[in-house]
Amino acid sequence: MSALTGGVGPAAATAGPAAAAALRRVTGVPLARLLAKRLVAAAVIVVALATSVFVLQRLSPLDPAKAMLGPGASASAVAQQREKLGLDDPFAAQLGRYLVGLPQGDLGMSYRTRRPVMTDLGAFVPATAELAFTAIVLALLLGIFFAVSTSLRWPGASVLRGVLMAGASAPAFLLGIGAILVFYKQLGWLPASGRTGITDVPGGPSGLLVLDGLLAGRFDVVSDALKHLVLPALAISFGPSVAIGRVLRTSLSSEERSDYARTARAKGLTDGAVLRRHVLRNAVGPALSMTGLQVGLMFAGVLVVEQIFAWPGIGQYTAQSIPVADFPAIAGVTLLLGIGYVVINTVVDILQGLADPRITT
Amino acid sequence: MSQDDTTAAVATAPPPTGAGAPVARVEDLHVTFRRAGADIQAIRGVSLEVGPGEIVGLVGESGSGKSVLGLSLLGLLGGSPRTSGRAVVHGTDMLTAGAAERRDVRRLHLGAVFQDPMTSLNPTMRVGRQIVEAAGSQDEAVRLLTAVGVPDPARRLRAYPHELSGGLRQRVMIAMAVAGTPSLVIADEPTTALDVTVQAQVLGLVKRLRDEIGCAFLLVTHDLGVAAQVVDRVAVMYAGRITEVGPADEVLRHGAHPYGVALMRSRLSLRTDRDTPLLALPGSVPSPARPEPGCAFAPRCTLAGPDCTTTPPAPVEVAPGHLAACVRDLAEIRAFADAVPGEEPPATGRPSAATAPAAATEAGPGAAPDDAPVEEPAAVRVQNAYRTYGVGSGIGRRRPLQALRGVSLTVARGEAVAVVGESGSGKSTLLRLVAGLERADGGTIELGSAAGAQMVFQDSGASLTPWLTIGELVGERLRSAGVPRAERDRRVAEALELVGLPAEVAKARGTQLSGGQRQRVGLARATVVPPEILLCDEPTSALDVSLAASVINLVGRLRRELDMAVLFVTHDLSVARVVADRIAVMYLGRIVEIGTADEITHRPRHPYTQALVAAVPDLGVEPPPPSGEPASPLDPPPGCAFHPRCPRATPSCSDPALDPRLAAQPGERTRLTACINLEVS
Repeated sequence: MSALTGGVGPAAATAGPAAAAALRRVTGVPLARLLAKRLVAAAVIVVALATSVFVLQRLSPLDPAKAMLGPGASASAVAQQREKLGLDDPFAAQLGRYLVGLPQGDLGMSYRTRRPVMTDLGAFVPATAELAFTAIVLALLLGIFFAVSTSLRWPGASVLRGVLMAGASAPAFLLGIGAILVFYKQLGWLPASGRTGITDVPGGPSGLLVLDGLLAGRFDVVSDALKHLVLPALAISFGPSVAIGRVLRTSLSSEERSDYARTARAKGLTDGAVLRRHVLRNAVGPALSMTGLQVGLMFAGVLVVEQIFAWPGIGQYTAQSIPVADFPAIAGVTLLLGIGYVVINTVVDILQGLADPRITT
Repeated sequence: MSQDDTTAAVATAPPPTGAGAPVARVEDLHVTFRRAGADIQAIRGVSLEVGPGEIVGLVGESGSGKSVLGLSLLGLLGGSPRTSGRAVVHGTDMLTAGAAERRDVRRLHLGAVFQDPMTSLNPTMRVGRQIVEAAGSQDEAVRLLTAVGVPDPARRLRAYPHELSGGLRQRVMIAMAVAGTPSLVIADEPTTALDVTVQAQVLGLVKRLRDEIGCAFLLVTHDLGVAAQVVDRVAVMYAGRITEVGPADEVLRHGAHPYGVALMRSRLSLRTDRDTPLLALPGSVPSPARPEPGCAFAPRCTLAGPDCTTTPPAPVEVAPGHLAACVRDLAEIRAFADAVPGEEPPATGRPSAATAPAAATEAGPGAAPDDAPVEEPAAVRVQNAYRTYGVGSGIGRRRPLQALRGVSLTVARGEAVAVVGESGSGKSTLLRLVAGLERADGGTIELGSAAGAQMVFQDSGASLTPWLTIGELVGERLRSAGVPRAERDRRVAEALELVGLPAEVAKARGTQLSGGQRQRVGLARATVVPPEILLCDEPTSALDVSLAASVINLVGRLRRELDMAVLFVTHDLSVARVVADRIAVMYLGRIVEIGTADEITHRPRHPYTQALVAAVPDLGVEPPPPSGEPASPLDPPPGCAFHPRCPRATPSCSDPALDPRLAAQPGERTRLTACINLEVS
């Protein structure tokens, strides 16, 4: 069998620096390329979104100047205001001005609040971020539970599945209203409006009440904030959790029938060990993709659900900006959501690369 | 293996019922699956013992139940079948024992190797961790990898499966299987997904491990040649039963059951007669949903009588340790085995004079101009073709894969040429270029006439659109040519008749047909408008031996009747030998040798061709394991690409400036070889 130690073909050249390749996957060239690609994508999306908001502004019959001055304003005052806002400049000039300001963080002035849109967003975003993040985590947990309970045939899993499926078939606002009626009005278990009932909340540094409360050692704030999060976050996460869960369940069951799972069983591993060590990592890819897609839909859900729960986030801000044609504010929110979507999907891609070594080598 | 070695191997291996209790015992096993409301009787009463340290071959066609038997012993039957009988390993019945007990037997006493090492290893886990799961420790994993011949094992432990070559992956699988020194390893088609030279190495490894560790192997395979190489005893399965079991040499050479005899006769080897049609088994395997009451083989058996169809025949001992389940007289079977094949025109059509003129036009890149272009009309003329792909996906970098690196090949009118090579040789790329499915990056491809080229694919099932009827599929080209409906139906019926399918098939859909029928549909589709040249991409490699033989016969007949040229791509030299007048051997994107079928298979001259010929598994052949595996077309070695594996390589072979050209030897007209160190006798 001398030949066995002879030439070994291509593997010798490629298999060796496996550790180096793994390192590069996380820190090196391919990741930098991915980030560069996504940066370009984000720029393209921002320009496209800004342009569409501006086109909508042109088409809109609402006059921001009139909206700012109120219904009783004289025509000359409106004209003066239009001049001041630069609304009579050519379309391209307005758009150009806006785009040039973006890299410096200048999103223009809100017509309504008369403050920079950036400042307004800074005030409203933390509330929305806290709610959205909670909803994503909840959607993932429910989705994983949905899939694994079905896959391992846990008793009682079908009840939960039924509840989730029924819930997912209703729109988020209906779930929200129903949850308020049942858990607040009838049972009185959970609060139904705002982020907290406590008035002297710690004022920083993240703006996320749960986190700030923990940092300040104010556990009363933490628990109150969590109670306030439960119902709106659930209302948002029901639909996405079922979507994620179904995809994960499908890929779990096909991976469980795979050849390598059979190999693992032939080694004498238990079903649980086969699922944990072998199947799960191979099955998460499609579920991650679905999570990325669902996050986009969840943003829309957040804006509506904030209204129902009087959540002081960008949903409120947007709702107040739309009737008065506050286009800088609307544009700011739109761009923020667009960038959030790109960021989430970049994170998904990186996670998929970490889960599957074949993607990056 | 040579005759002497066989005897030695049998002598060292404990006889089936001799020294020590058997490590595995199957007793009257029945396994029935429930599928779509029908009972599928996968195994219908099988008894078999595997002695300690014994290599038992389980041979049969697809659907014979051989893999189900292997999975029964592993206690890994999926799909909750009904079972009866026993499948005992190390004192535990793997059918009835509890899950934990079966797990323990698998962990301590059993190992398993499956067909495709790419899918059978977890793609997202380093092979080191996967081996440690079975071996217990890192050190033991290194020791095992060394034992199975993986070079630089400590480094390989950190690799992911996709970073290893096919042969190394299968060695990793084998290392996991023999971890903890099991008493039995179930190896289900362990070499089917491997290149032929690598297959020979892995078979050698199996034998060596048995000798060193003393573990028994149950080697499940459809390939009688593979079985002949390594096994001590053979059990032949057909339709869920064992038809014949006995010492390997005895069963394979002196079969005592008509099925085994027919199987051996329809199998191809390098000694198969090219001038007579192959002996295809008539009919097809009976449906496991409606098993025969008597001998399952009776409907296809030329010796069958009325007594064959009533009750299943009991096994009879025909020689020491050799049992056959057939009611016919042994003498009658032996006479059948020696009988002269029937009358049919030769499979290869005309091994005609057409071959000679074309040969002179093949040359390497930049062939000398005095290689006078022959005016002989050619079916296809490929000149200096190059093709490079970009590979790499996701966020990795794309790298160039050089699939073809200057290939010239001329196929004369009516000539059949086979292109043979291992994975990565570029043989399928060449075919796709000729078919016009892809464009060459350099060089030219000229078809002889407007009749053009038509392709027959390997996976006939996947290449039939599932919602169209066979009639629509076959008639598609007529339809696009504007042939009226009635005329179309008539010509579809003719095409189907020509490939031996009943006219009713036109109304069926692809999923309702068997593998062999689907491949015939593929041929009918390609020939309904007879092309100048028929392109075949491994059309037989997914078929069982008996079906493969009938498809090869059919290609030969169609070629004669429709006067087509054939370009036939295959990894199997013995197939190439019977379908083609000439054979071109490819390695890493180049033709290294081309000549008549007999020249290539009987007097190979290029060292690579010699290694390929030597690696073809067969009875009475001990393959010298060719070293190494095909290099990657991502990174072809400089100079002659074969030099890292070549026993005759000299320093000048690796010179990057070397460009080995195809050249003829003095006095030879038909054969060209691209080697600078030829041993010309």
